[in-house]
Amino acid sequence: MNFPRAASRALSTSGVPIAIALVLVVVIFQIISPVFLTPGSVRDYINNAIPILLLTVGVAIVIVAGGIDLSVGTVAGLSAGTTMWALVSGAPTWTAVLVGVATGLVFGLFNGLMITVFGINDFIVTLATLNIAGGLLIVLTEQVPLQGVTTPGFSDLVYGNFLGVPTGFWIAAVIFALMQFFLIRTVFGRRIFAIGIAPGAANVAGVNVNRVRLGTFVLSGLLAGAAGVLLASRLGAVQAFLGNGYEFIAIAGAVLGGVSLAGGRGSVWAAVAGGLMLATLQQGLRLNGVDPVYFSIVTGLCIVAGVVFDRRIQQLALGSFRKRAKGGPTPPAPVKLQETHLLGTGKQD
Amino acid sequence: METTSSQKNQTIVDRVVTRLLVDPTLGVLALLVLICLLAAFTLPVFLNGSNLYNLVNNSLVVMILAMGMTVVLVSGGIDLSIGTTMALCAGVTAAAMNFGLPLFAALLAALAMGALVGLGNGLLITRLGLPDFIATLAMLGFASGVLYIWTKGVPIIGYMVPEFYIVGGLTPLAGPLTLPMVIALLVALVLGGILGFTRLGTHFFAVGSSKTGAMQSGVRVERVRMQAYIVSGLAAAVAGIIMAGRNTNVPADLGNGYEIQAIAAAVIGGAALSGGRGRILGAILGAITLAAAVNLINLVGVPSSYQKIVIGGILVAAVLANRISAVVSGKVRQRKAMVLEGIPA
Repeated sequence: MNFPRAASRALSTSGVPIAIALVLVVVIFQIISPVFLTPGSVRDYINNAIPILLLTVGVAIVIVAGGIDLSVGTVAGLSAGTTMWALVSGAPTWTAVLVGVATGLVFGLFNGLMITVFGINDFIVTLATLNIAGGLLIVLTEQVPLQGVTTPGFSDLVYGNFLGVPTGFWIAAVIFALMQFFLIRTVFGRRIFAIGIAPGAANVAGVNVNRVRLGTFVLSGLLAGAAGVLLASRLGAVQAFLGNGYEFIAIAGAVLGGVSLAGGRGSVWAAVAGGLMLATLQQGLRLNGVDPVYFSIVTGLCIVAGVVFDRRIQQLALGSFRKRAKGGPTPPAPVKLQETHLLGTGKQD
Repeated sequence: METTSSQKNQTIVDRVVTRLLVDPTLGVLALLVLICLLAAFTLPVFLNGSNLYNLVNNSLVVMILAMGMTVVLVSGGIDLSIGTTMALCAGVTAAAMNFGLPLFAALLAALAMGALVGLGNGLLITRLGLPDFIATLAMLGFASGVLYIWTKGVPIIGYMVPEFYIVGGLTPLAGPLTLPMVIALLVALVLGGILGFTRLGTHFFAVGSSKTGAMQSGVRVERVRMQAYIVSGLAAAVAGIIMAGRNTNVPADLGNGYEIQAIAAAVIGGAALSGGRGRILGAILGAITLAAAVNLINLVGVPSSYQKIVIGGILVAAVLANRISAVVSGKVRQRKAMVLEGIPA
């Protein structure tokens, strides 16, 4: 493959390939069914996508630090449940929002502490909390009917209107901007990348690896809590299995956005673009009358495609890097990227 | 051997606890006995013959899955698709029976499907370089989607010939003995034999302990990893055949949640998520322990909706114990080495 250097550099920038693909997919769907880009349709599908986009960003932050969080989906479901529970018990909107976010925070803290204090595999801890949160929501829905809430202001969290745009958009946009700023412009954010690339080296350089890792799980829990609040606000009623399988879509979105599962590469806006890509595919399939169950297959294929594409781009970037270095004093050794990082579940003792 | 002062000071209790912590299989056995004793005092019904019989019978599907999972864990991987694969294989058997194939061919079709899914997982991991849990998570989504589309959300029925009641253990084979018990025993013997006495088994442990080390000793790491996933796919197929017989219909969500039970049983039985450690006997005891815990909370009258929380909690406790065990056995090894070198600990 002989890509021009500029093109290969642009493509290897995190988020650019997925943004191009997203535009292409939107254009294709618009050609197939002209109702795709009507304001109502767009508002609907972005409204549906926002909670999962929040989860995608949370998972992306954990993955950039070299971890994984499988619990985000059911934690978001449980947060939606506790939010509704607070409202049903007569709490005002702001208390309910706090309760929902706090639920996410508790699970994030639990995950992070189990992983950092006891040194347990992150994957297995979050698999266990996935089940615990899902089970708690089932129990909660059996105890309290989580619907029929008319607390003023609650549905305005998503459906309200500010400058002609639904409030849900504003909330999500502010959170995304904060996260992007946090990841790129703060010391803590840069440390997340550092421990994702090489935890050992980061440790030697004076980074408290465990504290940063704990921070990423807390962030992911907080975002799951926020996603749960928005879910509750949009749906107005919470069912027992809300959030089941969302972790799958969130991870797929992050991977599609070019967040490397080996850790150390990715950005918030790229993850959002990846999540939007999945939401667009879902909406496009739905508008064209495809059975929604096909979406789970599409998501599975997207994960595989995302990882394969990521590897190709890396090799491409490495190739152009080597070409530039040719003739220099010491050309870099042909490192086989990914191989060592991607084997196993990514846990080291 | 010379006894140092620290060993003299060690009480019997200390030594017993250390021994239990170092050998995970002994540890899970102790846990099982503890649960049984606890149950015997609070709920005499628990130790009833028929209750214990039902308990073991109920644990068989998870047991077979856990044995397959143990092989994958030993080789350093993890198989999240095992539950969905089980459901898919159950669907294949049921559909093959409905299609008019003889029982033998229907069972073979399920096994072929299991091996195919295992091969798919192996190829995703070794050829495309996906991390194990991502590849098998993608396979989970893919396989469950295929099953939903294929069945259109309606459970498959009408395949229950009399022989299938025997396969599912609903009609006992001879006396109290059911066919699933025999099958579980056979699977245990085969997988235990492979792990303990064959070159392939040694390779599983070698690859799980250190991929680089195994590769440098001439082990074909990728092929061994692929074989581990085929083994777990086959185990899922066997479990799926039993499940199809036991459940008498195959809904699309038949396998939901079984992967976490299989992982929990294997981990309770001492399999390490970091690879290179695990036992078939441990998986068997782990599955029975899990079934005993679920049985106990059912007997106490806790609604079944709490089951997910309990299984999740048990998994956390098991990994925690596993981790402590690893730390303690490391310390014991260190102490032994110090004694051998004559350094007072």
